[in-house]
Amino acid sequence: MKRIMTMFRKELLDAARDKRSVMAGLYYAIGTPLIMCGLFMVLINQLSSPDDLFIKIDNADKAKDLVHYLESKGVSHSDDATKVKDIRLVIGDEYPAQMAKGEAALVTLVADNSDDKLQKSIRRLEALLQQYSAEMGSLRLIARGVDPRVVQPLKVEVEDQATADSKGGMILGLAIFTMIYSVFISGMNLAIDTSAGERERNSLALLLSHPLSTRELVWSKILAVTSFALLGVILILIVSKFAYALVPWQQLGFAINLSPSFMLLMFLVAVPIALLAASLQLSVSFMAKTFKEAQSYLTIVLFVPLMLVMASTYQVAPDVLSWLPLSGQQQALMEVVKGKELPLAQLLVTSAATLAIALVLALVMERSLKSEKVVFGL
Amino acid sequence: MKARTRYQGVRRLSLLTAATLLAVAGLPAKAVDTHQLEKKLDGASESCYLSGISDRVRCGVVKVPENPAKPDGKQIEVHYAVLPAIKPSFPNEAFLAIAGGPGQSAIDHADGFDRMFRKVRQTRDILLIDQRGTGRSNLLACDDGAINALAFNDESADTTAEAQKCLDAQSADVTQYGSLNAVNDIEAVRKAAGYQKLHVYGVSYGTRMAQLYLKLHPEQVATTILDGVVPMQQSVIAIGEAIDRAVALLLADCKANEACNSQFPTLEADLAAVHTQLAQAPVSNSVRHPLTGEAETFLLTRGKFAAVVRLALYSPTTRALLPFAIHEAARGNYQSILGLYGMTVGGLDMAAGMHNAVVCGEDMHRIDAAMKSRLEQSYYGSEMFTALNKACKVWNIPQVAADFADGVTTDKPVLLLSGNLDPATPPSWAELAMANMGNARHLVAPYSGHGIARESCAAGVIAEFVSEGSAKELDTGCIEKDIRRGFYLNASTVEPLPQKSDKQDAAKASE
Amino acid sequence: MIKVNGLYKKIGQVQALSNLSFEARDGEITGLLGPNGAGKTTCLRTVFGLLKPDEGFAEIDGINVADNPIAAKQALGLFPDPFGLYERLTPREYVRFFAELSGMEGAAAKDATARVLSQLKMEEIADRRCKGFSQGQRMKTALAQAIVHQPRNIILDEPTRGLDVMSTRVLRDMLKDLRAQGHCVLFSSHVMQEVAALCDRVIVMARGQVVAVGSPAELCAQTGHESLEEAFIQLIGTDEGIAA
Repeated sequence: MKRIMTMFRKELLDAARDKRSVMAGLYYAIGTPLIMCGLFMVLINQLSSPDDLFIKIDNADKAKDLVHYLESKGVSHSDDATKVKDIRLVIGDEYPAQMAKGEAALVTLVADNSDDKLQKSIRRLEALLQQYSAEMGSLRLIARGVDPRVVQPLKVEVEDQATADSKGGMILGLAIFTMIYSVFISGMNLAIDTSAGERERNSLALLLSHPLSTRELVWSKILAVTSFALLGVILILIVSKFAYALVPWQQLGFAINLSPSFMLLMFLVAVPIALLAASLQLSVSFMAKTFKEAQSYLTIVLFVPLMLVMASTYQVAPDVLSWLPLSGQQQALMEVVKGKELPLAQLLVTSAATLAIALVLALVMERSLKSEKVVFGL
Repeated sequence: MKARTRYQGVRRLSLLTAATLLAVAGLPAKAVDTHQLEKKLDGASESCYLSGISDRVRCGVVKVPENPAKPDGKQIEVHYAVLPAIKPSFPNEAFLAIAGGPGQSAIDHADGFDRMFRKVRQTRDILLIDQRGTGRSNLLACDDGAINALAFNDESADTTAEAQKCLDAQSADVTQYGSLNAVNDIEAVRKAAGYQKLHVYGVSYGTRMAQLYLKLHPEQVATTILDGVVPMQQSVIAIGEAIDRAVALLLADCKANEACNSQFPTLEADLAAVHTQLAQAPVSNSVRHPLTGEAETFLLTRGKFAAVVRLALYSPTTRALLPFAIHEAARGNYQSILGLYGMTVGGLDMAAGMHNAVVCGEDMHRIDAAMKSRLEQSYYGSEMFTALNKACKVWNIPQVAADFADGVTTDKPVLLLSGNLDPATPPSWAELAMANMGNARHLVAPYSGHGIARESCAAGVIAEFVSEGSAKELDTGCIEKDIRRGFYLNASTVEPLPQKSDKQDAAKASE
Repeated sequence: MIKVNGLYKKIGQVQALSNLSFEARDGEITGLLGPNGAGKTTCLRTVFGLLKPDEGFAEIDGINVADNPIAAKQALGLFPDPFGLYERLTPREYVRFFAELSGMEGAAAKDATARVLSQLKMEEIADRRCKGFSQGQRMKTALAQAIVHQPRNIILDEPTRGLDVMSTRVLRDMLKDLRAQGHCVLFSSHVMQEVAALCDRVIVMARGQVVAVGSPAELCAQTGHESLEEAFIQLIGTDEGIAA
């Protein structure tokens, strides 16, 4: 144990002075939430329809009342190309005549429905036209002595069981994804440096020539990488807490709030994942002869756990995934975020599985370091 | 069985004399019910759903003594609902929206408030309270049983007897349902719901509640918004003049509108003619029931006609139909009047008992001789005063103290909103209310009616006012915007009718 | 005392060690001389327990390395080739780390580190990071690491490779000091002069076997050559891989 601590201290000291290892973790942990939030801010701005929406209205003088109605709801005609959205409303030539006869009067909405930036505005205009049409319809019925409720045979009440928090589930899923990803990213450079790098610098054989068992060596390195990974998690949690609060999610109708209890849970869940990440990264890098080689191996190997997390973020095949390591934890966290009860069994099983895999990898590494081939790269 | 097919829930026989102010009800109004997910606990709030709002909201109840002088006496439940903020940036504040009437339930109109104050709700909870005597809070309603609203002759009804019947039906101590007790209830709810500060929005009669709350609990008030202002100095029974003013504005608007004037050049005379005719005798029509389609007799009295005109003025949409409806009525076609009447009968959800409890205690005694003679100049004024006077004699509610009528003196930020076309609370009333307010701003929407928050412009201004906490820097440009809508020129259109020659051109073109 | 006995080791297709036996005694400097590829490094790695012999055993002070590696290694100091420095650590941190790894307690390790650094006259560079050190400074750091815990036995793998004259002299003096203190010093080299100048005993290796053992003078006498170089060439049968 004392030797593990000695090794562990050395690894941390060495890593802390390694700009590459520290920066890789820092950049990711600080940068990702900031970049994501920045993107979302831009996106929200683009997706939401502006308070004052300007469109082109052709033939406006044929439907003055409709145009006035739209204006009172913040949708107006403009010829100023800089502020007008690419939506055109064409009033039919026969509009007044059709209206006067009680027929359906033609208006044509011309817009590109695949343009994400326009969708909200198009929906809004469609809804306003619907409302106007309904209002006119009601008044036409009243004018004829008929109660408009006659043509509303169904009263549909929607009881949405989502909470303000759970509506942000997709975003939070992404946030949790970045946090789990940070576990893998933050320790990766250190993992490579302390294994493949150690051999590249010829210090591995020197270490092993000292009174130090391979188990002690392996675990001190795993612990060092794990602490770096967890440091990354703590950082990304803190940065996320502040960054996500800055985004005006309420404009999309939900809230994103990282509560202290969620942050604590996220950290606890991250501990076994960090151990897995560390042992996986170390055992892969010990196979490689050089830093560069280890990097390229790891990029490929890391794809598997990330796919698992990614899949559960987007809920592809959720049933199997909820009991697999990583995706299971991700789903359990999502449940909590959505305000549902913590699926403790699922979390315990998947965390135990995660730990088990980490232990197996550590054992394999321990044995492989006894092999002359691995130590000397023969 | 026949009764079931008729309009039910008519709270009061004479529409004209019933609702003095009215407020948030739009057309068509909805009957609303709350689905409670859990048994409610006293004070605490539980998840529930409200009609027209798909989100989960919170509903709660506080128990308060019916008579504050007897804290251990009978307890009544005051129900409230919280529309939780999307992003609760100000957990210690709520935006309290007070409904009008007097007698309307705020919770029943939750969906309307939700739409109006969507922006406010992004960061603050919206608090709705069913004022004592309304909605779920010990409702003081008057059940008219199975009266046929179409055939019923309101002018031959015995108002005194009806008032007595309504009073006899109440088990509550009706003297305890005035505004002052209700203000204490707001405090009880505020404490139970755990808010330190309230942004108080009142519409119509609700502005009286908002002013009282500001007067009595200024330290709890962050901002106040008065929409369709009833000044403390004013008796609500005095709205007869406001109604006449709004009718005159309608006639003037039609005259100024080229299409309306050319279609209905004699509108003023038409209106007078219908009044004159109905004053002589009601008109009986064989009609199809607006809702059921069954054959019915529609007895149109002057009272019903006047009520239709008055209530149609509240909403810009029904107001647009009035010239056509009046024009047709003058020519013996009452279909549009029937349609409008159907809406008002079905759509008013007022607690008439609570209405009496408030008006008889707080307003009736304030009509002095001078005021009375002014009211008698007006058809609406005299009818309303006469009916309410009879009802109040029966109800016999003790008068509030004289200082009740003192205007509010405050330096808290207050935003007053008026619609120039308002048939209940004209802009001059708001000026009266703000006489002693040091930090108040009055906005008049030139083309709006009673309660302008339902228009997106005013709703945005309110949201900005709440978040800024001051009315000084508000961007209020949109209030002036011309949002006048077209009048109905026939039963189908508001757009100018095509000229004859146009029609021929169109016919040619289509050949 | 370091003793190897009947070592066989095959690496890949090459029989690197083939019945190798020798001993290095306390209070002596023993040189392991052989051409490149003779099996010197393999032999030393086996003594450190990094390689497992196919047959035979290595002992440190009578402790079998394969049976009790931790105890055996505690009695050993290694001056490796290459040095295996941590460039981001200072010599003080580096040396202390290995002192603790070799079983010294924190305070003792700190004192021992300070002592060895002053002994090697390294105070000036003791708190600079190793990155950018000259070869001589690196050698000193590695040497400090090897002797900080004052092991009974010290093994040096090609210690003078790449050293300048001054550094070589420091190293030589250090080794002589260690001998005087009664340590067992074993070093491998393919540099003739080095061996001739320093060693009390020379073990000549070729093709994984010991071909001759003795002091430089004895080896000359044994082969009848006047210079060790000539003697050496004769012993290993070729002059390939030998530096004069």
